[in-house]
Amino acid sequence: MIDFTIFYKNPLSPDFSWTPRYSWDVFVSAYNSSERVNRVFENVQATSKHWLVCPEYDYSDDEMPSGNYFRADGSNEAGFIRQFAKVTPIEWTKMTVCVDTTGFIRPYLLFLLRWLVEKGVDRFDAIYSEPVHYSEKETTQFSSGGVKDVRQVAGFEGIHSRDGSNNVLIIGSGYDSMLIASVAEAKDNAKKVQVLGLPSLRADMFQENLLRVELAQDYLGNDERFFAPAHDPFVTAQVINEIVDRLNAQRRITNLYLSPLATKAQVLGFGLYYLALCGKKPASIIFPVSTRYGKETSKGISRIWKYTVDLAAIRKAAAKSSRISGGWGS
Amino acid sequence: MNDPMRNPFTITKASDFSDREILEFWVDFSKSRGLYHLAKPVSAMPMLILGGKGSGKTHLMRYFSYQLQRIRNKKSLVEGIKKEGYVGIYLRCEGLNANRFEGKNQSDQIWCTVFEYYMEIWLAQLLLSTVRELLDRDPAFAGKEPAICKAIGELFHTKKYRKLTGIDELLSFLTSIQRALDAAVNNCAITDKLNVNVLATRSRLIFGIPKILADQLNFFQNLQFQYLIDEIENLSSAQQKYINTLLRERSENCSFKLGAKLYGVKTYSTYSADEENKEGSEYEKLPLDETLRENPEYPRFAGKMIARRLREFGYLGDNSSETVSLEKLAKYFDVPSRSRLAETETAFVSVKYLGRERPYFQKLRKKLEAGLSGGTALGLRRRRDIEEIIAALNIPGFPLLEKVNIYLLYKEWSLGDDLKASAKKIEAEAKAYLENPLAAKRYSQILSHFKADLLAQLLRECGRKQMYLGIENFIIMSSGLPRNLLNILKHIFTWSVFNGERPFRDKISMDAQISGVMQAADWFFADANAKGADGPKVQDCISRLAELFREIRYSDKPAECSLSTFSVYLAPLSLEARHMIEVAEQYSLLIRVKRGARDRNTMRIDCKFQLNPMLAPRWDLPVARRGAIALSQIEAESIFNPSGGADFDVTKKTRVGRMTAPLFGKSRSVDKHVQGENLLFGMEE
Repeated sequence: MIDFTIFYKNPLSPDFSWTPRYSWDVFVSAYNSSERVNRVFENVQATSKHWLVCPEYDYSDDEMPSGNYFRADGSNEAGFIRQFAKVTPIEWTKMTVCVDTTGFIRPYLLFLLRWLVEKGVDRFDAIYSEPVHYSEKETTQFSSGGVKDVRQVAGFEGIHSRDGSNNVLIIGSGYDSMLIASVAEAKDNAKKVQVLGLPSLRADMFQENLLRVELAQDYLGNDERFFAPAHDPFVTAQVINEIVDRLNAQRRITNLYLSPLATKAQVLGFGLYYLALCGKKPASIIFPVSTRYGKETSKGISRIWKYTVDLAAIRKAAAKSSRISGGWGS
Repeated sequence: MNDPMRNPFTITKASDFSDREILEFWVDFSKSRGLYHLAKPVSAMPMLILGGKGSGKTHLMRYFSYQLQRIRNKKSLVEGIKKEGYVGIYLRCEGLNANRFEGKNQSDQIWCTVFEYYMEIWLAQLLLSTVRELLDRDPAFAGKEPAICKAIGELFHTKKYRKLTGIDELLSFLTSIQRALDAAVNNCAITDKLNVNVLATRSRLIFGIPKILADQLNFFQNLQFQYLIDEIENLSSAQQKYINTLLRERSENCSFKLGAKLYGVKTYSTYSADEENKEGSEYEKLPLDETLRENPEYPRFAGKMIARRLREFGYLGDNSSETVSLEKLAKYFDVPSRSRLAETETAFVSVKYLGRERPYFQKLRKKLEAGLSGGTALGLRRRRDIEEIIAALNIPGFPLLEKVNIYLLYKEWSLGDDLKASAKKIEAEAKAYLENPLAAKRYSQILSHFKADLLAQLLRECGRKQMYLGIENFIIMSSGLPRNLLNILKHIFTWSVFNGERPFRDKISMDAQISGVMQAADWFFADANAKGADGPKVQDCISRLAELFREIRYSDKPAECSLSTFSVYLAPLSLEARHMIEVAEQYSLLIRVKRGARDRNTMRIDCKFQLNPMLAPRWDLPVARRGAIALSQIEAESIFNPSGGADFDVTKKTRVGRMTAPLFGKSRSVDKHVQGENLLFGMEE
């Protein structure tokens, strides 16, 4: 069984004194107006740097970032990433790649991860920058315009079972209570489990998180709560693995739904868990899609993390998992 | 011994219930009006079961499912099903994750074909696993199983599966097709290719298998196969078109019940030359919340539902009978003792304002002073007149009557009457009323119409919370959506326990009821929010409407009593405004009043809508529906057009201004004659 916690992670100083030590052939980041996204993009050392401009941020032509950027409207995360790969001459398997996860809208980040696995990339670095604080503390609006739909993320759709008698929904609960409520309502017959970010990015953020989660409590019912560090994708993946094993041991899980709504570090953790252990199972990652997302929702940079994502190990775990019978969902 | 902390109302959704709980918590009206009767499970005519969130669609549809038939007919399943006359194949569309069958660089036409095939395979599996379980030990079935499987195999466009001889084998074959389809659909996002070999076209399995079963086994000959497809709002328009086509082309021993939220039906179109299904011809409709709301037995039905929960959690004792009267349930809720003049509800006034002027008189005094100085109060010449008026309206033992007096004074003021004379007249009327209500007709009538509003005003002016109390009011608030009632009770129960009470053993305090009902109202406002961009817009519209109602209710001279309803002529409204009204209705924020309202001038029948009474506590509005205002086109635009067709503040100011002293909507110049009179006689002392 894969142990996600052995993957490498390094904290990096927000003064960027580390930049001479690290460089990549390709650096990919999703553009938004937050300081923590832009300063990292400016400072990292890479042969080529690429901005992805997700349409949901709603940037106009004259708001485009300087440098290489890619934008495409009217397609979902799969179409967007595939189109980016098509028009950008990158030899993904031969080059060193770094992805700054911070500004990504979650389904785009997840699909990029899936796409890198499919392309045969063995390893890449991922960056996540922690803010000093969110712009309006616990009332920060991350999404706006209402939830259009709750849907599966492309590439994470799974093979579901007709039997819905013990469905489980694991929510990585962040600040956006509307998203939590929407996803819980969409899978209203599932047992709800929340993974809360603890330790949180900053001391006060856990309390702020709880205040927001409380607003969605009517939809969560008698949920169970677990904790995983907000900054750590690998422990998050491990925690989800343990939750699933534990719940499945109590009663066989019929369908598993994962919904990462918290930090991008945790989104990465959810994605890695899925790719390693859920490939052919009745499991999917679902996401409440909003019309718009805030362009600048945080202030400052308090800490930067670099994660070494070993996709070869993930691929190996996935192959092993699909051969094992008798586990959950089989 | 029951645990006092266990809240019987925690589960408010049928989807959270086990099959057994669906049966245990099932309640119905008396037979002729019963839901079972209305939903016609044996009928060959397809039915669209429409209802707001929490109207009980899923509970009803699951009640008809085979899983429930199995529990209901424990003694003899086969005989029981024969007697019931149908087999219910239940499917929740949520589980299909249907939105993966779109986009991914494939044409709508391709997705349509793949989705149809997927549904065929999915429903066929549900149907065959039901049949296998139902006839597991039936010797007649055992003998016919190979022939049945062979015939089913022939439904596929390949010879490969014609040698299957057992249902289990057939099922694993279907499961493998489904898994391959899932993989193809999912991989399409990565590969841009969708490789699916369709082995059975539309309706071949869904209608073909029941026909084979009826041909081969006597047991199925007189049975209806009811496909119970719930939550079709989860399907896209193209996917619903396919379902509609199945309805239109159904075979004789198959029928459908489709469950959908009020906003859930995206199309009635079919693939049969794009024709639309017509109500009465291809399907019939069961509007569930409307049916519940308009059934005079609804309060009893709700009472049964509550009693069933309480009993399951051990609150009514083991020996309590099935029919616990509403009156008995009502006794668990503390309410002020009923009195004609609301003496109990207003008893606090004399204590709180001992030796001080009551706030409503303070307010009146200010208005009169403004009238005096602005020359807009006929009959007022000096400050002493104000004292005389207030003294005339004083009835210290009956604060509610003081409010009636003030209301009447405002009414006469708005007509331009002499206020001193009016006050004397009102004083006499009040005296007469107290001696004999029949002797003071106008006074009695005002009290009867405006009692709730004047009491609400009094509570507000005295800094008290509004009283949303008693099971009868909670049932009215739920307006045909049982989940709303359960949510109210859930929150009340939680507050009651939090306050250290023992709900449903002892009385539930008014404080717990008021707090719980307020929380439930907030929950409803958030829960009934529309999807996507319409969500915040429709919430703004409803907030404006409620604000207007509130301003009118708490104005000096409200034009309508218990105002929670408006009428409007929809035709001239902008598309945006009409769309918002439609969305608000679909999400149960507005409830359409069936017969509409006749416009006083043109005799035209306008549409009439009530603000959902669940929202009443958010804006201190009445729960009951009595008065209604007719909104003009400009007013309706100012409320319902999100792109700001007209200014809502102007609407509010104009409407409420007409009910507010000292000007009552008139400009100061209109009242010059009053000012002139004051000047003539010398105004100030």
